[in-house]
Amino acid sequence: KEREKKLQIYVAARDACFTKRKDGVFDDEALQLTQQLLSSNPDFATLWNYRREILLHLETVRNQDEVQKIYEAELSFLESCLKVNPKSYGSWHHRGWVSARLPRPDWARELSLCDRCLSLDDRNFHCWDYRRMVVKMSGVPVKQELDFTDRLIGSNFSNYSSWHYRSTLLPLLHPQAPDTPSQCGNPPPSASPQTHFHRVCEEQLLKEYELVQNAFFTDPNDQSAWFYYRWLLGRAERDEMISCVYVSREEERVAVAFSRPVNAQSVGVEWQSVHPHFKNSPVWICSLPPGTISDVANEHNLTVHWTEKHSHRDCALYTGRSESWCRDTATDLELFRSELSVEKTSVLQSELQSVRQLQELEPLNKWCLLTIILLMRALDPLGYEKETLAHFQTLKDVDSMRSAYYSDLCSKFMIENTILKMEYAEVRVFSISDRKLTTLCHLDQLLLVTHINLSSNQLQQLPPQFAMLQCLEVRIGTLFFLLFFINLNSEISTLADLQPLASCPKLKRLDLRGNPITQTTNAEAELAGLLPSVTDLLL
Amino acid sequence: IAQLKDVIIKPDAPSSLLLDKHADYIAAYGSKKDDYVNNIHLKYDNAIGKMDTINVDKAVEFVLSCMNFDGGFGCRPGSESHAGQIYCCTGFLSLTGQLHQLNADLLGWWLCERQLPSGGLNGRPEKLPDVCYSWWVLASLKIIGRIHWIDKAKLRRFILACQDEETGGFADRPGDMVDPFHTLFGVAGLSLLGDEQIKAVNPVLCMPEDVLQRIGLQPDLLS
Repeated sequence: KEREKKLQIYVAARDACFTKRKDGVFDDEALQLTQQLLSSNPDFATLWNYRREILLHLETVRNQDEVQKIYEAELSFLESCLKVNPKSYGSWHHRGWVSARLPRPDWARELSLCDRCLSLDDRNFHCWDYRRMVVKMSGVPVKQELDFTDRLIGSNFSNYSSWHYRSTLLPLLHPQAPDTPSQCGNPPPSASPQTHFHRVCEEQLLKEYELVQNAFFTDPNDQSAWFYYRWLLGRAERDEMISCVYVSREEERVAVAFSRPVNAQSVGVEWQSVHPHFKNSPVWICSLPPGTISDVANEHNLTVHWTEKHSHRDCALYTGRSESWCRDTATDLELFRSELSVEKTSVLQSELQSVRQLQELEPLNKWCLLTIILLMRALDPLGYEKETLAHFQTLKDVDSMRSAYYSDLCSKFMIENTILKMEYAEVRVFSISDRKLTTLCHLDQLLLVTHINLSSNQLQQLPPQFAMLQCLEVRIGTLFFLLFFINLNSEISTLADLQPLASCPKLKRLDLRGNPITQTTNAEAELAGLLPSVTDLLL
Repeated sequence: IAQLKDVIIKPDAPSSLLLDKHADYIAAYGSKKDDYVNNIHLKYDNAIGKMDTINVDKAVEFVLSCMNFDGGFGCRPGSESHAGQIYCCTGFLSLTGQLHQLNADLLGWWLCERQLPSGGLNGRPEKLPDVCYSWWVLASLKIIGRIHWIDKAKLRRFILACQDEETGGFADRPGDMVDPFHTLFGVAGLSLLGDEQIKAVNPVLCMPEDVLQRIGLQPDLLS
């Protein structure tokens, strides 16, 4: 009964507001009614809109001092709203709107409001966002805000929001200039911390490591510090470039690998993505008109232009040669591991030691284990390979909910190591068996690979990106044969499972013995249809 | 010392899917005259196929400027990562064919770390699990091809525990009051997890797949 009465009053007030608004009325009563309703329901966006219309109208019929008073009263009203519900999108948005229109804003007071609000709940993202607006509007120095995060991080445990804020402030104050990694230059234009050149100069980076380490040593279960630490260990964005050009005289084909997925448009010659499904791909193929480069007596100089980046790559196809390529290795490009200064190496080494000690005290702490792995990757991915594998196993036991993630991450690292070893040996064989691989990645780095061995792993399927292996020659049947026995859930039984192989033109031999697909009627004919280049099919 | 925020699922919590109860709940809800109908935030241009009315390149640029150190997205540039925003942004990038701009491994890790010991998912670090995140987080993971990074069985157990055996419907967490919002996302989450009693749902548009197939709409997903 009580509720029904309240509802009636509410509905009446609401209807009155809507009527007034429709009639274009912007009087005191409208202000009162909206205030009454918004006090109990600050999420009623339409009413905030109407209130703003009223205030805009008042701006035109009152002098500046009166407007100042009106908006100050508005701020006072908003403060009472926020006390009741500090998480209303409507209230915070309106406050931002009012502050921006106030003739004489008091940004110090606004900042102090944020301080108070955050002291009650330092994860209130509405307040953080409002604070960022206040900082921007009033020109609060970045250093001051950095110190603010210092205070919060030092005293509170729930501080992911503070670390996050830090990640945006630090590169502004101590950016890494692209050419001189150790100098601290002028702030670059604002960009997201994930995009190019938004790294931190080394001197500050090393100080930051210390700060984070203090945090996770004080409380090893505070995940925020560990997340942030992983970002600090992370790599800079790679330069945008054409990383590999491959030419096949026999196939009259050019394959190009870019440093990131691109969307190529055919100009003059026709470009095709490695897989029809991908409009954006790091690898593109161009089939040259027949006879262009087929005569082995001729030398050809090919140039691939990436017009958007004003860059190009040359590749010379010499007389008597059936193929040619030009490639920047993953090693040279520091794709999987960056060159470390002596100072940084020493810092990371001591961090590794410290986290190892922590791990002994906290054997069930998965953050320690993961961070040890990440530190080892940063210091010496090949040297620490065995230890890395052992740590991943422990990690899967300690944090079993995420064991699929750890398996995939481990697979990625093992693939990186195999690529590095392959480059060092200067061969075109990619062999990685019995490593419990659950996923394939970095396939854009395998453009030149002719032989592949993926036996005794746990791959359930071949990703469509497998087509990036444009030079692949040998059979991969062993993979499926062993898969059948090792992982009964992933039987190669349909044509669809083998679809990715259709994009590997050099595949001549395929051994599918032991796979259920061989039992399907008409298997041989269907497979021949799917994989016309395969001349040697074992079923 | 940081306490891990989570819930405990009682032994007598619902453990099987009460589909008929939920059907009754939703049917009854629609017939009440004075209830507000929750308007779930629609981020897509309502008339799909009218994307040329907006400057897509600028929109993509804006969304990417909201990408954070952890691979996630917040409300505005500089805002903290939040599963709800991440869902909006990954869905947007799918519809605009720009999923390759994501750091899927990094974002996938942040998303799978939303899973708590109870099996439920939260929306950002150090928050309680909520059944609606079974949708925001799970759909995002599906879009970026990393749904296998969470423990499906444990999540399913959590979602089922959020059911109300008497009234039907799902609540944000076990024992709380149910509402249509959480009911939708509980059911949708179960569908993404592969429950055979529920139609397949599309992670980008939160609509049944068969409906989308009928109109020939298949948004990109990463593999």
